Amino acid sequence: MDYAIAIKDVSKKFRIYHGRMYSLKEKLLYWGQQRSEEFWALQNINLEIPKGKTVGLIGKNGSGKSTLLKLISKILYPTSGTIQVFGRMSTLLELGAGFHQEFTGRENIYLNASILGFSKKEIDRKIDQIIAFSELENFIDTPVRNYSSGMYMRLGFSIAIHVDPDILLIDEILAVGDYEFQKKCMDRIEEFKKAGKTIVFVSHSGDQVKQLCDLAVWLENGKLIRYGSAASVVDEYEQKVEVISQ
Amino acid sequence: MLKQIQNIYLYREMLRNVVLRELRARYKGSVLGFLWTFVNPLLMLVIYSVVFSYILKTEIINYPMFIFVALLPWNYFVNSILQGTVSLVQNAGLIKKIYFPREVFPIAVVISNLVNYLLSLLIMIPALLLTGVHIKLPAISFPLILLVETFFVLAFALVLSVINIYFRDMEHLVGVIILALFYLTPVLYPLSLIPENIIWIFNLNPITPIIQAYRDIFFEGIWPDWAVLMKVGLFGLVLLVFSMRIFDRMQRDAAEHI
Repeated sequence: MDYAIAIKDVSKKFRIYHGRMYSLKEKLLYWGQQRSEEFWALQNINLEIPKGKTVGLIGKNGSGKSTLLKLISKILYPTSGTIQVFGRMSTLLELGAGFHQEFTGRENIYLNASILGFSKKEIDRKIDQIIAFSELENFIDTPVRNYSSGMYMRLGFSIAIHVDPDILLIDEILAVGDYEFQKKCMDRIEEFKKAGKTIVFVSHSGDQVKQLCDLAVWLENGKLIRYGSAASVVDEYEQKVEVISQ
Repeated sequence: MLKQIQNIYLYREMLRNVVLRELRARYKGSVLGFLWTFVNPLLMLVIYSVVFSYILKTEIINYPMFIFVALLPWNYFVNSILQGTVSLVQNAGLIKKIYFPREVFPIAVVISNLVNYLLSLLIMIPALLLTGVHIKLPAISFPLILLVETFFVLAFALVLSVINIYFRDMEHLVGVIILALFYLTPVLYPLSLIPENIIWIFNLNPITPIIQAYRDIFFEGIWPDWAVLMKVGLFGLVLLVFSMRIFDRMQRDAAEHI
């Protein structure tokens, strides 16, 4: 089996400080008194994601889904264990992160796309598609500080979705724009799937996972509970949630 | 280390765009816009000329230009380090949300200041000619001196930017240290003015021979002291290698501490 992502025995520890002290004065005044607690966001995760599959991460808030996604995307570094990624990867964690307020939409496309790892040639080739997808043709040469939050998101999503990676990581950003725009985004993700890309995404919606994913990972309190076909894992997860809520 | 450089190269388009952002955003919205890049050193020159021709008279001939050839590279050094130190913390939002080699931000600061320095030469060289200083052959060693200086600038910008994530006092400390360093570097005076018994302090400062070299080639029209320059260059290169390793190690937990 060909893997896109191989996660071996990964754990991630966070230190929670009660009032983080950054400055010298504070550090000297409260020497040795700074209280901190350890918190294991993930413990001994083993996970192999085959190439070309769409995988949903489900679980309650604080179960470690986003932490796992950030570890895969190399934003965070694991406390122990190893993560291997095979292929070009792109992360959609927050739309429009890195936009410069004073720059126009077009200028921000170049800036933002390059942060996502695009080359100039790729952007030149895709800029028309990106603008068309965002439906912002009339505002593309206006500084983005004049954009509404909806327009902002649409431009961000449009850039992100036109990145052509082998692996796409998505963190609950599909709640962007109006119904029609959401539909367009879903279609685009379907296209990605058909093109044989690997997709990992975090979702709260069991239906969305069932609809889009081949496989699902159920996390709870930083531990991997179940990994298998999307339908069976989601059903089991929802059953458990129902049992608890009754 | 090789992988680190490769990774930065992979994101060269981002580096280019961040440099452009630094260069353009600085003056965006101002009337003179990019012209400020030239107006700034020009005004500086005017101020020094007035002050040192009419108020503080010195024995050094053409004192304004004597300062100017040293002050421009000094500004490149200082501005890169001051802006470099805060460059990661200022982009915290991005670091938490998107992966990219974090070296990009301090390096972009250095490059944009380098570009500004090179542009200010367009003011400096005509000013030298106008005041009767001829540009002589030794001036061709400029790229080499610039390279040596850039080793140091990069090394400091990288290390300080990553330390500042964990220890925010750094940016304030750096400001004070640089002020002290300014008077320990022969920018405003010639090295010959320093008493024999304390000259060793100045010789410890690796920026001294660099500034001296700029003055030699542009103002005095003589070749720089090659032996010293090579020694300093080698030291700078070693420092840069170390700083990249430190950066690589310390940036791992950046997203959770920033």
